[in-house]
Amino acid sequence: MLEVKDINAFYGDFHVLHQTSLTVGKGELVAVIGANGHGKSTLLKAICGLTPVKSGEIILNGQNVTGKCAPDLVQEGLVYVAEDRRLFPDMTVLENLQLGAYTPAARQHEKRNLDRVFSLYPRLAERRDQLCRSLSGGEAQMVALGRGLMSNPSLLAIDEPSLGLAPNLTETMLKTVSQLNQDGLTVLLVEQSLALLKGMIDRVYSIEEGIVTSNHTDNMQEVL
Amino acid sequence: MTQTLEILLSGITQGAVYCVVAVGLSLVYGASRILNFAHGSLYSLGGFLAWWLVAGGLNLPLWMAILILIPTLALTGVGIERVIIRPLRGSDNWKINTIMVTLGLAFIIENGLQLVFGPGTRTIPPFVEGVFTFGGISLSWYKIWICVISLSLVGGLEYFLSSTRYGQAIRAVSQDMQGANQVGINVNQVFAMTFALSVVLTGIAGVLLAPVFLVSPLGGWAPFLKAFVIVVLGGLGSTKGAFIAAFILAILESFVIFYIGPSWAMPAWLLMLILVLMIRPKGLFGVWEN
Repeated sequence: MLEVKDINAFYGDFHVLHQTSLTVGKGELVAVIGANGHGKSTLLKAICGLTPVKSGEIILNGQNVTGKCAPDLVQEGLVYVAEDRRLFPDMTVLENLQLGAYTPAARQHEKRNLDRVFSLYPRLAERRDQLCRSLSGGEAQMVALGRGLMSNPSLLAIDEPSLGLAPNLTETMLKTVSQLNQDGLTVLLVEQSLALLKGMIDRVYSIEEGIVTSNHTDNMQEVL
Repeated sequence: MTQTLEILLSGITQGAVYCVVAVGLSLVYGASRILNFAHGSLYSLGGFLAWWLVAGGLNLPLWMAILILIPTLALTGVGIERVIIRPLRGSDNWKINTIMVTLGLAFIIENGLQLVFGPGTRTIPPFVEGVFTFGGISLSWYKIWICVISLSLVGGLEYFLSSTRYGQAIRAVSQDMQGANQVGINVNQVFAMTFALSVVLTGIAGVLLAPVFLVSPLGGWAPFLKAFVIVVLGGLGSTKGAFIAAFILAILESFVIFYIGPSWAMPAWLLMLILVLMIRPKGLFGVWEN
């Protein structure tokens, strides 16, 4: 479904991603693991069109989408959920979710997806008219994931959903992601540690200083 | 008592028009962080185009002139964004660069107007005449009408921003540009749309005020300066702040003009601005903390 071939990306003058490659198959939950500052987020942003790619290729559903901007990729079903949430603080929960369904393709399924998000997170239904700036960290993360789902993704790229969350909230969040994956959503997930992901992922890449150092496909049991 | 009320009413009608100019300036700044220095010259442009359509040769009725003006001004806004703003964005110091470029545009528009229409002032006859009197208070019908039209324009804009998808997209871009990108909002289109709306608003304000203040090629600087003070006082990027600040300052202005003198209006505004910024550096309803 997604094939990333030898991409290079920079943060200012700093060379962050070196010939990075990865693949995500339909229906998989693939994780990218690495310490802070090693380029995980840049990798995800580069894939999702939020950071320019210097060289290399990104293929989505057989089409070369290298250099396409984020709004175009959202139309194609590749949706990014940011580690820092990136909610619209002075809008309500409902408005944030509605904006998730901004593209014409997503708008067709707006009602269905909204019901889905509210059944996934009844808490958000209760707080639909509350401004996002007043939400707790856990609730904000729910809105961020919910807004991503509202975009009707075929591949959801989630950047460190556990960031800034208490351990029990992290666990629930990752369970939800795993559940979404079992319901058929393809997920590319970035996390700092593998321990939290036990039993839910299909494959894992680890990244060190912008270089993919390992790719465990078949021997997942050994890695975990 | 009636005198005070009359001054107050005159301030409110004036405030409504200031509102239209200031809200346009604030809208663009809020979404794209661009301070459009050509905002005032676009106000004059609106006035001159309307004069040309109504009195300068074509002799069209005013409503028809406005129907022609709205798309013309909107396209002008889109053109400004596309041709001179977009190529600059993303480069280093783009905020300063856009200020310089829009300032240059202001000079081009002003001198263009002088070249085409000459340096003199023009006026458009008001579409209603006569004075409304009630209990000793008198107010011209025209002022009442421009107040009503201005409030409808600002109300319409608020409705657009709060209740339509495109309006939501504008607010989304002004609150988190990357977030807007993530949900599939084309940020460039939003910028173009805010410029279109902004130029329409200031241009229409130029038309509405033409019978009161006359239009002249350099006449846009005063409304621009006023709009700038209003926007800073209200809080950069907040249309609601601009709305409230416009009325506060316009009412202040009409009292100062009556009791002290017209030349003290601007010093009074600036004093007010300094006082508010000393207490609240981000203005009354500033969107950004820093």
